[in-house]
Amino acid sequence: MRYVDEFRDPELGRVLATEILAAVEPGRHYKFMEVCGGHTHSIYKYGVDDLLPANVELVHGPGCPVCVIPMGRVDDGIAVAREPGVIFTCFGDMMRVPGSKGSMLEAKAEGADIRMVYSPLDALRIAKQNPDRQVVFFAIGFETTAPSTALTLKRAKAEGVPNFSCMCSHVTIVPPLRALLDSPDLRLDGFVGPGHVSTVVGARPFEFIPADYGKPIVVAGFEPLDILQAIRMILAQLDEGRCEVENQYSRVVPYEGNQRALEVMAEVFELRPHFEWRGLGFISQSGLKLSEAYAELDAELRFSVPGVRVADPKACQCGEVLKGVIKPWECKVFGTACTPERPIGTCMVSSEGACAAYYNYGRFAREREVV
Amino acid sequence: MNANACGDHCITCSDEGIPMRVERIDDVRRLALCAAEDGSRSTVEIELVDVAPGDRVLVHAGVALAELSA
Repeated sequence: MRYVDEFRDPELGRVLATEILAAVEPGRHYKFMEVCGGHTHSIYKYGVDDLLPANVELVHGPGCPVCVIPMGRVDDGIAVAREPGVIFTCFGDMMRVPGSKGSMLEAKAEGADIRMVYSPLDALRIAKQNPDRQVVFFAIGFETTAPSTALTLKRAKAEGVPNFSCMCSHVTIVPPLRALLDSPDLRLDGFVGPGHVSTVVGARPFEFIPADYGKPIVVAGFEPLDILQAIRMILAQLDEGRCEVENQYSRVVPYEGNQRALEVMAEVFELRPHFEWRGLGFISQSGLKLSEAYAELDAELRFSVPGVRVADPKACQCGEVLKGVIKPWECKVFGTACTPERPIGTCMVSSEGACAAYYNYGRFAREREVV
Repeated sequence: MNANACGDHCITCSDEGIPMRVERIDDVRRLALCAAEDGSRSTVEIELVDVAPGDRVLVHAGVALAELSA
């Protein structure tokens, strides 16, 4: 399969692993963060970390859009879903994220009309098919899904679909990276940059990482060889004393991003002053809301949204996992009270969450180590 | 529900896109019929890219975000 097989070639993988081994200084410990949940998933699925020398550590970043949604936001969504006459739509994994009084899936079981959609355009279609119902789309995700929501809202406005609205929980990638870099308990040597977010924003927004923080970043694809090559490129930068943004994923990512996507996002959204991230707290200018021009489609203005802040469960250490301070298996409830079937924390919900990825793939390797 | 219900792809629109080939284009509505590697077809929004039938695109949440270079 083109674009896939050649990036999973075991022979090339071994060559890259040998090059990485040759590039590391034996006495030095390297800590790289893969920003994106898609990378975390691939790393565990293909055992990429097994190919790395022991002194190269991968830290999982905050780039899983489900994992960063705070409990209060889930509660707000459920409150809207329970309003009479509402059809509430969201992406599949979002339905399993626990709020303080249960998940959307549980609210659905209790009678709320909550439906899974693959794309916001599906939600708009449901609205057109049910003109006597209010259809709300719960929008989550980074800059990869924000254009899709923006286009849908443009369509809804142009076509005049009065019963459609959007509860916007979109977030942007740069502010949490800056927050992580400012965090004193995390010392990183470099970043594997998010691939698909960069198809939209380009690689340029990451220039602050080498410029302001002196760390290299390599935007990477999601196949195992992409990730290995990105690590090889970061090591080469460190070795040669360079510090810059490099683009390993140039077959998909233009350095300047997708201008049309950025324009439609700028038209439909504006930055919130603050947005709460699970485990990371409030980060200024990190979340998106609907702009003035689209206020009529804003579910938060159309419905009464409680907006109550809910603290994460004490036992759950998603925050530390999202910041890369602890590994998934170091959380007290990992694999016992918290599993993909009954998640306590968001990182166990989405297949791109570090805990779920590790639970599904990585724990077997660790069991081998322990034995 | 299995978090991996869609094979390799997380059904949440996390940072994973699906490479697809454009088969037919409805230029008025800026929609395209696209086929994935496994042969499954779906309608994709192509407002954000310039593509022609036969081109390959990266699709995310029903929207083509980038053209894959040949």
